[in-house]
Amino acid sequence: MRINSKKKLALIQNGWGMLPFLLILALFILHLALPDKTFSQEERRYLAQWPVFDIETVLNGSYESKVEAYFSDQFPFRDVWVHIQEGSNQILFDR
Amino acid sequence: MVFSSLLFTFAFLPVIAILYYSLGKHFRNIVLLTASLFFYAWGEPVYVLLMCSSIMINYWIGTLLGRDDTSKRKRQLFLIISLVFNLGCLAYFKYIGLIISTLASMSGWSLQLGTPALPLGISFYTFQTLSYVIEVYRGKVKAQKSLILFALYIAMFPQLVAGPIVNYADLESQLADRSMTFKKFNAGMRRFLCGLAKKVLLANNIGLLWSEVKAMPGTEISVLMAWVGIIAFALQIYFDFSGYSDMAIGLGKMFGFRFKENFRYPYSSQSISEFWRRWHISLGSWFKEYVYIPLGGSRVGKWKLILNLFFVWFLTGLWHGASWNFVFWGLYFGTLIYIEKVFLLKSMARWPKAVRHIYLLLLVVIGWVFFEFNNMADGLSFLRIMFGVGGNALMDHQGIGRLQAYALLYIVCIFAASPGPQNLALFFKALLLNRIGCNIYRLAVNLYCCTLMVVLTAYMVASTYNPFIYFRF
Repeated sequence: MRINSKKKLALIQNGWGMLPFLLILALFILHLALPDKTFSQEERRYLAQWPVFDIETVLNGSYESKVEAYFSDQFPFRDVWVHIQEGSNQILFDR
Repeated sequence: MVFSSLLFTFAFLPVIAILYYSLGKHFRNIVLLTASLFFYAWGEPVYVLLMCSSIMINYWIGTLLGRDDTSKRKRQLFLIISLVFNLGCLAYFKYIGLIISTLASMSGWSLQLGTPALPLGISFYTFQTLSYVIEVYRGKVKAQKSLILFALYIAMFPQLVAGPIVNYADLESQLADRSMTFKKFNAGMRRFLCGLAKKVLLANNIGLLWSEVKAMPGTEISVLMAWVGIIAFALQIYFDFSGYSDMAIGLGKMFGFRFKENFRYPYSSQSISEFWRRWHISLGSWFKEYVYIPLGGSRVGKWKLILNLFFVWFLTGLWHGASWNFVFWGLYFGTLIYIEKVFLLKSMARWPKAVRHIYLLLLVVIGWVFFEFNNMADGLSFLRIMFGVGGNALMDHQGIGRLQAYALLYIVCIFAASPGPQNLALFFKALLLNRIGCNIYRLAVNLYCCTLMVVLTAYMVASTYNPFIYFRF
């Protein structure tokens, strides 16, 4: 019994340790699950879309940067994150 | 791919971690190697071939060196072939532009040759490769039999593009067999977050201050502004580079590896010699092990010592970039270390601690001027402003204004560069662990990490463009 509860405790403690990784994983799954947007009201611009695969653009690296642009433009709750950053900038850096 | 990009943290990392831990023991190294090649090829698809051929050639040379029936002559020959190949690649891809422009300016020719783009991480993986070949040549380690494990040693994505430079002997046993636990994975994750915070929160933001100062015309910079700016740069480069090392060490730990520390609070040093034992430790020990000691180390005559130090610090400077100001920066430190070695350290022992610390910080900050300005003339005129020789104003409203706006960040950065946060964390651990219990303490720590993660994500989303300073070395 005692060994069992000790094991349980260790499991819970390690479980707490998984929280940061689970947060990352949750955002990744949300990114996959949420539908892509085409236009951002806040930024007043069209958001990057998943690029068309083409071996030439892969080799010169422009495909990869388009994927990165897609990933950050379509990041879940993009506007909320930007607001958090603005708020934290005001508190931390008085800007 | 850079660690501080959203794509890395929120897509690459979770996918690789899940594949790594779910596919079972036999596939782990293959998963990690494939992931690393993908990581390298991302945005640099052609140069992955250069790295792969370097891996192949050095694997083959290592095997030849490791055979018992190879004669001493042949072993020397193989070592030389490997040195020529590896250093030749480095010289061609990194330094050809510098060599051509220097030759052209010395001879007066006008040479126009296209120079190749710098392959990512070539300075780091060349040094790791050399470490392997030299250790096998010396007979200190056995040649790696598995090509996959050797390729993993060279190309492992945590340390591939910005170090630390891992010594083969330190990693040899871990490559084939390493322990992986939840505890290690979680601790690695927290270390990664710590490095990410240094980069995204501290380095990037204090860096804005320096880029403001650097963009100002020389006549308008006040003495105060110059100091505020260059100290901001000193903090930026420390958090940038040590943050990258933290991320590398943390990522390594998540996959079961243990890398040596690369930074130990360099700005808390009390002499230049100590600073270089705490700053970019893996590079310093590489040069010591494979250049300085083979040349005879410190147990040589006076003139030989000067020559050895000159050589080592010339190379250390040159390693940081293909420009003469880096060489000057290296030799500047070499000279200071020689002076300390010969007489200064003895008399410094009598100085008060605070004086030694100010001496160290002052000389290091002056060093960053040489490091940051690729054009030596620009650097010298900036130094003149710092010391009030240029006739610039001592203080101005803009300087005071900037100092006020950045005051909190400045204080946070200076505190974060000291051992303070580490000690504070230990203090709280000792204080809280018995009072609230292990379980709640762990919960609190991880909730703190999650909050940090939220702030970091906000900063990463808000700034899409995020290049590393040390990334191209």
